[in-house]
Amino acid sequence: MAWYHALHTAFNALAQRRREERQMADEMRFHLEMETRWLMSEKGLPEDEAKWAAQRAFGGVEAHKDAVRDERGTSWLEDLVQDARFGFRTLRRRPGFTTVASLTLALGIGASTALFGVVKAVLLTPLPYSRPEGIAVLWSSWTGFDQTWLSYDEYEEWKTDIPAFANVGLFSDGAVNLTADGESERIRTGFIDRDILPILGVQPALGRNFTAEEDIPNGPAVIILGDDVWRSRFSADSSVVGRTIQVNGRDRVVVGVMPAGFKLPLDFGADGPTRLWVPLGTNAQASGAIEGPGFQQGGGNHGFYSAARLKAGATLAQANAQLADRVAKLTKDGMYSSDRHFRAFAVGVEQQVTGRLKPILLVVFAAVGFVLLIACANVAGLLLVRGEQRRREMAVRVALGAGGRRLSRQLLAETIVLAGIGGTLGVALAALGVWVLRNTAPAALPRVAETRLDPLVLGFALGVAVIAAIIAGLLPAMQATSVTPQTELREGGRSATSGPGRLRWRQTLVAAEVALAVVLVVGAGLMIRSVVNLFAIDAGIRPDGVLTMRLSTPAAWYPDSIRVTAFHDELRRRVAAIPGVSAVGFVRNLPLANEMGDWGLQVEGYTPPPNQGTPGDWQVVTPGYFEAMGLRLREGRFFDDRDRMDAPPAMIVNRRFTELYLKGRPAIGTHVRIGGANANRPQYTIVGIVDNVKHNGLTREVKAQFYAPQPQFATNPGNTSRSMTLVVRGTGDPMRLVAPVRSAIRSLDPRVPVSEVRSMTDVVEQAIAAPRFAMQLLGLFGVLALVLSAIGIFGIVSQVVASRTQEFGIRAALGATPQNLLVLSLGSGVRQAAAGLVVGVAAALALTRTMTTMLEGVTPTDPLTFVTVVAVTAVVAVGASLIPARRAAKTDLAKVMTG
Amino acid sequence: MTDANAPSRSDILQGTLEMLTLKALTLQPMHGWGISIRLRQISGDVFDVNQGSLYPALQRMLRRGWIRAYYADSENNRKARYYEITRGGLAQLEVQMAEWDRSSRAVNRILRFAPQGG
Repeated sequence: MAWYHALHTAFNALAQRRREERQMADEMRFHLEMETRWLMSEKGLPEDEAKWAAQRAFGGVEAHKDAVRDERGTSWLEDLVQDARFGFRTLRRRPGFTTVASLTLALGIGASTALFGVVKAVLLTPLPYSRPEGIAVLWSSWTGFDQTWLSYDEYEEWKTDIPAFANVGLFSDGAVNLTADGESERIRTGFIDRDILPILGVQPALGRNFTAEEDIPNGPAVIILGDDVWRSRFSADSSVVGRTIQVNGRDRVVVGVMPAGFKLPLDFGADGPTRLWVPLGTNAQASGAIEGPGFQQGGGNHGFYSAARLKAGATLAQANAQLADRVAKLTKDGMYSSDRHFRAFAVGVEQQVTGRLKPILLVVFAAVGFVLLIACANVAGLLLVRGEQRRREMAVRVALGAGGRRLSRQLLAETIVLAGIGGTLGVALAALGVWVLRNTAPAALPRVAETRLDPLVLGFALGVAVIAAIIAGLLPAMQATSVTPQTELREGGRSATSGPGRLRWRQTLVAAEVALAVVLVVGAGLMIRSVVNLFAIDAGIRPDGVLTMRLSTPAAWYPDSIRVTAFHDELRRRVAAIPGVSAVGFVRNLPLANEMGDWGLQVEGYTPPPNQGTPGDWQVVTPGYFEAMGLRLREGRFFDDRDRMDAPPAMIVNRRFTELYLKGRPAIGTHVRIGGANANRPQYTIVGIVDNVKHNGLTREVKAQFYAPQPQFATNPGNTSRSMTLVVRGTGDPMRLVAPVRSAIRSLDPRVPVSEVRSMTDVVEQAIAAPRFAMQLLGLFGVLALVLSAIGIFGIVSQVVASRTQEFGIRAALGATPQNLLVLSLGSGVRQAAAGLVVGVAAALALTRTMTTMLEGVTPTDPLTFVTVVAVTAVVAVGASLIPARRAAKTDLAKVMTG
Repeated sequence: MTDANAPSRSDILQGTLEMLTLKALTLQPMHGWGISIRLRQISGDVFDVNQGSLYPALQRMLRRGWIRAYYADSENNRKARYYEITRGGLAQLEVQMAEWDRSSRAVNRILRFAPQGG
């Protein structure tokens, strides 16, 4: 009940304060009465004269009251309440000022609070693992692959021969169909070996991890559920452990349920988290690797993700050094071909998850700090203007005996009340901002959607409000209380111009605001240019009007590729019949969404250099895909219904393919064999060439790609693509097609699960989510900064004009034209803006360097951006000065001289 | 005289005013005006301070525990706030008087001997 007690004390103190005030007033009145009577009886003065004399002998009643109050040594709480009430009253008398100032603070506080929420969620909240600093994700890289999977042989090698690792585990991801109560759902699923959970230091909330006996090829069918699946599909029933459920049409026994919020280290990206986990169940034999300590040429097939736990005391740098040594030795032994520059490396899990977002967030957070500073400078400026207007009031109060300390305290209290209002509004703004972020944050931005206004974030808002109050209020308070009543009151009714010293502070503030704004707007400008560049990149597809959704045809119901093909053909026919649909097809890997891997090829007439293969990124499609996705045909033809399973195998390649493997030779008609040396299978014949598609990322290098028809690829080389993405091109909003397409699927086979329903535009936007996020925030802050600086410039020019009205009148009388006066008054604002511009450009040149990694196709010192920003800021500055300056030009001579 | 000039003077007088007030209160409890008139009478109007300055001084001494306040009927049948000296106040008066004694003797010595010494 501490708060109750505090409240009680505060009320008591306030009640006592009122009683004391009354007693004090009574006592002083009593004194004056006694003195008056004494003067009348002893000195024989008439009553009114006695009263006057008593009054004079006593001195200023209010001043003495103040002195008594000061002597009471009251509690800070009473003072605060009193000062705050006083501040509140003064603020209420000036609603315009109060609104502008508190809104300005609200914007600064709100924006920085919301962004701190993001920083906290992304960077400060530890990942849901035990001691995440000891967890690393392992990768391989070689020419053309910056960061790719491990092979089983490498896993065994690193696990046994890298002393810095305590343990190494393998995992991969995919999706399964979960059927419960007759309803199917496609759910992203992690395939994890038995070491993954111990490495992450997470235990199932219910049940247990997989055992070694379960983690073998064709081992017992078991599964661990994610918390949300457990809640949504099994009503959070704890007896689910031990029960058998239907996965991909087969039975699996639930052995555990993971705690809420658990994710695998690579689950923080655009594809969303895995929500079910089954044993990876692999061994050397099943993975085509050499059993035991052996190691095959090139490491074997690279297809696993890997996580490792560092030994206590070991560092990531040690692990990486040991990996480099090991790879160097393997390369020397001829296990890796030296011209492919094979490398193995470990990335700390935190770096892995948020590493890409961290620099962006820090830049944006710094930007929001700038906005806050500008807001503070603005409010300080407004307060200084008010201080000017209140100099006489202050002088009178000082003359009446108010102490300097007390005055500054009251002024500061006023600012604190302002910051209180601003802070409250700011938290509301932040709440709105967080709500928007949570609901619109692209899934590709790890953890941003986890942003919450928790106590720490609210505490941050409080801290920011207090600091803002101090920054904004200190200077005005110092200025206002430096008044000397003698000079101030002697100046008479028509006060002279503001002293140059007082004005200089405001001018410095304005210059600082402009400088900060320039830095922000340059940052925003660079981001805008770079996002424009990203949008301008030709991805080789036309995403507008395209709807995509993932479907899968489980082996339980579609045991062979003939049935899969029949399903695809029939669904294509039904979807094509939907009004507004112009093309429809299936694709195995959606561009910019699912990474594509490569197959080794044998291209007729092409001999690769020694130790190099002829890799081609593989894509499996049905007829209609090229038209639906809008790929451009360069030569030959697209696939059509000719390309059936039993037809001669047809292949379409991209331009990169022809540049690499068919230099100068006609491509159409060239024969290509997919995968190794299986000479029994018929060769593919190239029937078409399409423009490059930036499949793995807008800024990534395009490799040789080939497309094969789904029914043909299923037998040659043999891989039934069960999970395909349906691509539908229509007119108008693609999301309007969702309902009719879904009902077409249901009418064909209600058991087929649908997932990842997205428009292709959305997919492209996810691909550039991080730079866009930075652009939107920096753009917003840049505009805010410009508006706030405009207000600041407007304020100072208004004040200068107002204080020089007399001077202007005299000048006008002496023959100055309105133009002369306009230029004269414009000068004051424009000079500050120019100073701010110079400082701002210099600061921006130094600071934008930090953005280098965020930029695409534009340098941090891009001249066009800088020139544009300088021009825009100058226009804003002149514009903001013009309004008050025109008032000066219209100075009415008669009014000034007689008024 | 404006109050803006008051601090410097009241600083010097503060201690003296307190000491004289405490001394006056050793005779009997008094209300504010009573103290004020007593000080004037004793000093023969030499010590004619701004009368209101007494009240901050009283407040200060209340807070320090040198005096106590209570309400009682006054000579014109109105309730008035009376002040009486406490034991702490008496002790303080001793200290202040000793201090005053020492410093005034020092001042006197300087005034008497300074001309010859110079």
